Amino acid sequence: MIMWKPIPTLSRRALAVLVLAVLLPFAGKLNAFVNEAISLALEAATPYVEQGFEVREDNWSGEVAPDKPLLVRHQLFRGNEYWFWAGTSWPGASIQVDIFDSKGNSVGLESFAKGSFAGVRALPQKTGTYFIWIQTAYDPAKARKELEEFGVGAEGVGEFTGTVDWGLVYGYR
Amino acid sequence: MVVILSCLLPGLMTGETEKSGAPKRLDLANFPGEIVDQVVVPIPAEIFAVLDKLDEPDWDDGIAIPEEPGQTSDRAILALTFGSLVGEGFIAVQAKSVDDIETIGKEVLALAESLGLAGAVRPHSLGIIEAAKNREWDVVRDELDGTQQTVRTTMEKLRDDQLAELVSLGGWLRGTHVVTSFIGEAFREDKAELLNQPGLIAHFRQMLEALDGPSKASREIRALTTGLARMEAVIVEEGAISEEDIIELRDISRSMLDEYYFAEEPAEDGDPN
Repeated sequence: MIMWKPIPTLSRRALAVLVLAVLLPFAGKLNAFVNEAISLALEAATPYVEQGFEVREDNWSGEVAPDKPLLVRHQLFRGNEYWFWAGTSWPGASIQVDIFDSKGNSVGLESFAKGSFAGVRALPQKTGTYFIWIQTAYDPAKARKELEEFGVGAEGVGEFTGTVDWGLVYGYR
Repeated sequence: MVVILSCLLPGLMTGETEKSGAPKRLDLANFPGEIVDQVVVPIPAEIFAVLDKLDEPDWDDGIAIPEEPGQTSDRAILALTFGSLVGEGFIAVQAKSVDDIETIGKEVLALAESLGLAGAVRPHSLGIIEAAKNREWDVVRDELDGTQQTVRTTMEKLRDDQLAELVSLGGWLRGTHVVTSFIGEAFREDKAELLNQPGLIAHFRQMLEALDGPSKASREIRALTTGLARMEAVIVEEGAISEEDIIELRDISRSMLDEYYFAEEPAEDGDPN
């Protein structure tokens, strides 16, 4: 059960940037323990838990070059309603998500994209394999601004290396 | 750490919603990006939720906790058994059977000890038992999902990725058997459609094919490999699943579970266990 309580006085991206800046030097070692992209996706899921969605513990994550689309295959069951939530924590990065059936038709009923997190809702008309489409984008100017705004200016910290992180979680009811 | 980070993050639904740049249609045969290899196997509770909407199965009838499961030192079989026992837990939650959930919670911990993962599983096991006593069924489901995920994650950290996949297979197989048993008792096409899972079966087949070590040649794993091939022949993509298909899937899944999970005596036809 997701029961995190947000602190309203701090912006989510600001904190993500700060945490990322602190963790970046240790990224390799900490990767197994911290997945900021998944944390953001779960945060996006929080309001829907109150609506009765059961959010799965299992999830997908990785790194991808901005603008390169990703497809995640997943089994859905007709009769359930699903939300998929995606997140990226990289400074200056944004993410979008949609869902397609096995013929390639978009079947998302409702969606949102708000910078570092996004979501899409589906009500499958058939039980079978569906494809969740994810695409990230990276804006260097936005990244610089975010890093500067919060005093994260050390050389090499937050430097873009060609990929951004992504995470995807889902819930059903 | 993940929880700490999330606690620091403020609420959602602030700022402008951006226009989605997703295409209306995808050419799946010529997708320009990357197809993610990782497969997330649905938990039995996802299928049970649909079955509950379509019917009123007698979930009590579906519970079949084996006596002393996992009496082996073969970690592959222990992983399969662990997954199936978690699947059993999901059935017991549907049945709202506090006693059975408590038994399963203890058995899950015993199996985790055999796998050397008791430390990671103990909090979940205690959480399952506590939530069941409080009749907090959503929490029990979350803890069962969390148990399976913790074991899978711990196995992956220990470079036991293949064992982690076997945990998922065990849970899926137990769920598939109980679902086919119920559907076989009162067949309807909309319920049968729940078994349209060719992608998952193909995934499990590939996983067993890639298995290495002595377990691959074991009687149990060979039986599972054969069983999955038989299931794949029954579930044809886009094809309707008939009552006969459901009965066949039920019997195949039962025979697979008999190899490592249930007692020696096979159940009579039609018995949801």
